[in-house]
Amino acid sequence: MNNHYLSKIKTRFFGFLLIMLCLSIVSFGQTQSVRGVVKSGPDNEPVPGALVLIKGTQKGTVTDIDGAFTIDASPGEILVISFVGYATKEVAVVAGQTNVNVSLDLSTSDLSEVVVVGYGSQIKKEVTGAIQTVNEAELKDLPVSSVAQKLQGRLAGVQINQTTGKPGQGMSVRIRGQLSVSGGSDPLYVVDGFPITGDINQINPDEIADISVLKDAASTSLYGSRAANGVVLITTKKGKVGQTNVNLNVWTGFQNVPEKGRLEMMNAEEFAQFKKEYYEDAKQTVPEVFQNPAQYRDKNNDWYDAMLVNGAPITSYNLTVTSNKERVNTAVIAGVFDQKGVVVNTDYQRYSLRMNTDYQVSDKINIGVNIAPQYVYDNTPRTDGTRGTGILFNALHTWPVMPIYDEQGELTFFNRFPANTGNIFAYPNWVRSAQEITNETKRTNVLANTYAEWRPIKGLSFKSTFNVEISNSRFFSFNPSTATSAINVAIPTVAVSVRDDISSLSWLNENIATYRKSINDHAFEVLLGFSNQQFRTDRTRIQADTYADDRLPTIQGAINVNRGGTFTDVGEWTLTSVFSRLNYNYKGKYLLTASVRTDGSSRFGSENRWGVFPSTSVGWVMSDEGFLQNNSTISFAKVRASFGVTGNNNIGNYTQYALVNNTINAVFGNNVVSGAGVTSLQNTNLGWETTSQFDLGFDLGFLDDRIQFTYDYYTKNTTNLLYAVQIPQESGFTNFNDNIGEIKFWGHEFAINAIPVTGQFSWTINANLSINRNEVLSLADGIDRVYGSWHITQVGQPFGQFYGLQKLGNYANAEDLANSPKIPGRSTVGSIKLKDVNGDGVITFGGDNDDRTIIGNPFPDFIYGLVNNFKFKNFDASITASGSQGNELYMRHLFSTANLDGVFNMVRRAKDRFRSPENPGEGIFGTTVGGGNVTGIERDWPNSNFVWDASYFTIRNITVGYTFTKLPKSVKSARLYMSGQNMWVFTKYWGGSNPEVSMQNNGQGDGGNLSPGVDLGPYPVPRTITFGANITF
Amino acid sequence: MKKYIPVLLAASLFISSCDDFLTVVPETQLSSATFFKNQKDFEQAVNAAYVPLRTIVNDRAWLLGEMHSDNTYYARNVLFGATDNQEDLADFSVPESNGTTANVHVLNQWRQDYLIIARANQILALIDDVDFDAAAKANVKGQALFLRAYAYFELARYFGKVPLHLTPVASREEAALPLSEEAEIYAQIISDLNAAIPLLLDKSKQEPGRVTEGAARTLLANVYINLKRWSDAEQVLTPVITSGKYSLMSSYAMAFSDNAANKNNAESVFEVQFQEGAAGLQGNFTYQWLPRPISAAELQPLMGTSNPQPQDGEGNNIPTPDIIAAYEPGDLRKDASIGYVFLSGAFQVPKTLPYILKFFKKHSQHNNHGQNFPIYRYAEVLLFMAEALNEQGKTGQAIPYLNQVRTRAGLAATTATGQAGVREAIFKERRVELAFENKRWFDIQRTDRIQEIIIPHGNRIKANPQAYYYPPLPGAVPRSNAFTNLNKFYAYPADESNLSPYF
Repeated sequence: MNNHYLSKIKTRFFGFLLIMLCLSIVSFGQTQSVRGVVKSGPDNEPVPGALVLIKGTQKGTVTDIDGAFTIDASPGEILVISFVGYATKEVAVVAGQTNVNVSLDLSTSDLSEVVVVGYGSQIKKEVTGAIQTVNEAELKDLPVSSVAQKLQGRLAGVQINQTTGKPGQGMSVRIRGQLSVSGGSDPLYVVDGFPITGDINQINPDEIADISVLKDAASTSLYGSRAANGVVLITTKKGKVGQTNVNLNVWTGFQNVPEKGRLEMMNAEEFAQFKKEYYEDAKQTVPEVFQNPAQYRDKNNDWYDAMLVNGAPITSYNLTVTSNKERVNTAVIAGVFDQKGVVVNTDYQRYSLRMNTDYQVSDKINIGVNIAPQYVYDNTPRTDGTRGTGILFNALHTWPVMPIYDEQGELTFFNRFPANTGNIFAYPNWVRSAQEITNETKRTNVLANTYAEWRPIKGLSFKSTFNVEISNSRFFSFNPSTATSAINVAIPTVAVSVRDDISSLSWLNENIATYRKSINDHAFEVLLGFSNQQFRTDRTRIQADTYADDRLPTIQGAINVNRGGTFTDVGEWTLTSVFSRLNYNYKGKYLLTASVRTDGSSRFGSENRWGVFPSTSVGWVMSDEGFLQNNSTISFAKVRASFGVTGNNNIGNYTQYALVNNTINAVFGNNVVSGAGVTSLQNTNLGWETTSQFDLGFDLGFLDDRIQFTYDYYTKNTTNLLYAVQIPQESGFTNFNDNIGEIKFWGHEFAINAIPVTGQFSWTINANLSINRNEVLSLADGIDRVYGSWHITQVGQPFGQFYGLQKLGNYANAEDLANSPKIPGRSTVGSIKLKDVNGDGVITFGGDNDDRTIIGNPFPDFIYGLVNNFKFKNFDASITASGSQGNELYMRHLFSTANLDGVFNMVRRAKDRFRSPENPGEGIFGTTVGGGNVTGIERDWPNSNFVWDASYFTIRNITVGYTFTKLPKSVKSARLYMSGQNMWVFTKYWGGSNPEVSMQNNGQGDGGNLSPGVDLGPYPVPRTITFGANITF
Repeated sequence: MKKYIPVLLAASLFISSCDDFLTVVPETQLSSATFFKNQKDFEQAVNAAYVPLRTIVNDRAWLLGEMHSDNTYYARNVLFGATDNQEDLADFSVPESNGTTANVHVLNQWRQDYLIIARANQILALIDDVDFDAAAKANVKGQALFLRAYAYFELARYFGKVPLHLTPVASREEAALPLSEEAEIYAQIISDLNAAIPLLLDKSKQEPGRVTEGAARTLLANVYINLKRWSDAEQVLTPVITSGKYSLMSSYAMAFSDNAANKNNAESVFEVQFQEGAAGLQGNFTYQWLPRPISAAELQPLMGTSNPQPQDGEGNNIPTPDIIAAYEPGDLRKDASIGYVFLSGAFQVPKTLPYILKFFKKHSQHNNHGQNFPIYRYAEVLLFMAEALNEQGKTGQAIPYLNQVRTRAGLAATTATGQAGVREAIFKERRVELAFENKRWFDIQRTDRIQEIIIPHGNRIKANPQAYYYPPLPGAVPRSNAFTNLNKFYAYPADESNLSPYF
């Protein structure tokens, strides 16, 4: 790393800080003490916790439990009194008047709210971009470990899927359907102004005060080459003015995988019956063990169920201390989160601490430090993966006649039936695999932000920040000789250990000048800034095997060190940026924002180092015009339009270089020599992916904003997609990394917030619906399609469509077989009947006479979310739901779980397969007769039999709470609640319990961006029931 | 204004240091900009050019050159159906459409050969511009030329016309080239080998395992024989025989390398090098050639490992009854080449199946062995010479070379007479002497005997499937498309054809 450079930056930063400190001036004025009580207009009850601020300053206080306040103010100053849910009121201080009583009116409008935007904040009314915010209150109570889980169902235009139930993992967040072909597609997460490089889902959600999701290019383009996937701004907690609060939030509960929704597999008797029929239908002798299926009636072995834990505990403790008094604003959040998984031997623990401090050195200078250390321990068995790698998949299709426990009640090691039973794979005991294989990660992270802000004159501010993110992750896995996660590996097996240590450091220095000025009705804000960011990761991986003793999985205890699995690796990138923005409005109703960022990145080729990302947006608050001003129905109306260009620089650190691999070793005689070869082609023009986006939206408020409606239409074109363009391997290379192609994305977002009922019983609704579409307009020269194992991405179609042969049924009888196109030498009566797409009379898979076609779409027609909040006296309740309509999944596991050769246990539906022309079954599964030559077609050739509708509607969360009113003096508030997460999933999908599932791999391959919606039966998402208490002192 | 000085200062510093800050080169990998600068770099580069040969002989050559002939077949395991790619090769039913095939083995053979070519081209394009020891440079260059020629010779025999890359590809546009005529490919091979012969060291001086002058001469002779340029073959081969650097091993079994010993022995002209262990240099071809399913207990005596694992799936490269019958009575090579193993789980009747004993060497860890695989042995040099002479009408001079090979096999001198008779004797001798060394298909191909040999072979299998390892179960018979594609060349790999505008 360039330490010299880092030290230069540091020196510069501290120098700047010092000068600003020296220039501080403290001012004083004439003041009087003002007292008052704030009451609620409708019921005349005191309002505790209302904010009383002197307008235009940071001075202020908060009302106490009786709604009372005291503040020092000068005559002529204006007190601004605000509280959530009420209209803000301004009261002037009159000389000599020491008592001010204020009655607040209920407000349904949040337009005066301040919204966090990129590099600053804006009044919601004046926002011209497409931004959605979620605050702390909306996120509380949900018993989950990560932020993304809490956001499910709340955001229009954002699809958040939980693709696996592994604690702390598997959240896929896609803003406006954005996808890269092979680069990253996750949004940029910015925590307190710092674009982080780590995983957002490891952050304690209780540290978060609010979240802004920036969707259109005008909102995001200040993040330049990293903004194309959208930006999520996270602001952590601060103290409330004038208050000191100690809050304890504790919840605990348990998790289960509901029986309903699991993939239904055959039980032992059904399986034995299947095997019996298999041999009978093939006119072969039935092996003795299957001659009497009834003998297994009470001897079922549900391998999948054996992997699960019933009532796995989950607990969270958070202690939050905030104080904002006498120029110091502090928040300290200490959290402990402990989740045992619903799969045997899963353990996830997080210990987190955050200390946020702002100090007002003088009226002109503020400094602040946020520091958030964290430790996460995670042990998750190797649950996910395809046959032979994921133990849940393995458990699903293990023969249920094989015993989990032996006669002594001990877990078996290994099960194998005689070869004449068709048992070609031996099955280790997967429960043992889960219990005995260590697969743990220990992560330590520290996230720190520091800043100094200097306001030399009114309206002008200089802010310098220095942010650091340090993380260290230590992965250790040990596979003892007594267990394996692979199929068909005899026990004892070769013990293997892997140690993988990754440490990374990211730092960012930003220097920003802001100037605000109003001249008559013209208001300006200009922002100028530059920044440098550097990231470096160092990785050491050691893989060793063949242990003399499983109790000592040390490196020195291994007989072999595996060279292929042992390496060091360094990843580094740097980013230098200059950015500016102009906000202008006239009378607060004609709004204009323009911004530009220039990014230079080490990832870009030497001939293409700098990218420019401009944007502009305009808004018109129509309701401020005369013709709408006194309209009794329409209380607010704003039209917005924006256009901008953003980039995606997730193209890999060294993709532009031609790399030489010097481990292509050879041996001559007994002499091992190192060998070296060029493994990739250089591209000095390699650059970022470019997205140009247009957004048109409007915000409407009706009936005093009791009903608010937001609509956005967007259209964007992503070009220069990073793609490893396949080239003929006669060149000696497999691909050329290039920026290619164009994908168009467009969509509509609707969001509505309404308050149908207020008063003693109140009800609010927040609903949203989004339609996201895409179409591939071009790929590389001479390439109009990219195939995956089960997908195609083709010009003129949405990307990542399921691709294979179209199933028409099974050949019903000899006549049907004779008169239909078939596969020479393979099709038989009862085997899968496929569509002859090219009409040549023969069914062909691949090659020039390919009959494959698009057989399904993993993308939904629309997604939607619905949040209802109810309040009655001291009770509150909320229901959060979300859904997806029209999406399909590729039930990939059927290649094993419906292997008609009886090699594996099978889905229960296969009982109703084709057995004879008279007994054709339900038409899903074909004949077993003919062995692999026949059954292999249905199993090995991707076809529409694998594709199933996976539309769903999920009740994500139901929470019921009770707030106590009669409290001891020392307690400010207390609430008890009960919460249920993932309560019910309504879906017709039958391939497993999670219709949001998707294989998650990076890059171009299977499970990557072009290969969504593949179900391999991963870790189930549990139903969680918790009880909690939230007490503030 | 003074107040803003720090800001301006910072801004100017920022701009000046940008370029350094934004240049981040990979630290854990070399890049082409810094490589190919000295002798060591080129030596490493030529070492890497050998590496694809391991993959070729371990995973592909026996499928394309041996099981695609009458010498070996696959042994059906009815529980496995999805092995079309291998079966299609053994069954002469490789599917073709518009001159391309999706057969994965054809594809990978193509790719591995071109990988050798690309690595050799990289060396040959740059080596003359870098100054280092002339002898070392000649040796590297000679090896690179040999390897490029060898790869093109494989391609020419498998595919006929192929793209001729002679310089490294540097951009996407250069990646595909038009097909060159066979004559052009052969001209290049001959020119490369003629250039390589004087550059390469002879066997006594070269590091064992690397290609030598003798290897280059033998390869060139093979090329000439393929082209029926008999006198050229004789001429280039003569120094190999007269050099005295090569001789037949005393017994046939000794001609083949052990797991760790007897490598690059006196009979070896060129062999692909393997090494047992965890370094990734091992082979496992004998495991791929097992009749299956085989239990651990049945496998252990064959391999001698401490951790045998049962093997399922289809058996591949199983010697046919034809090759077993091809050995003359008393031929010592028969028992040295073919062994038998009893499989309790076999579906075949009887449950005893043959396997290629001559390459099965004892080793310690399952699925990991170190015996080398021959490309050229001195026995073949002798048979080449016999053939080159006989075809020129020098039948009398040819017969002693043939007899040298026969004598070592414990057989009497050949009784064949006349050019045609000796031609047939040499052809038969090659079959048994070089059995399972991936020569058979090429021999059938170059002698234009595909129809004559393969059609009856197919008919024998169809007439009596169980003699060819089909189990006595309903439906276990050759597939309907067996023996329908008897083309001289394989079709071009479809995956490559999709990416190339030229074929």
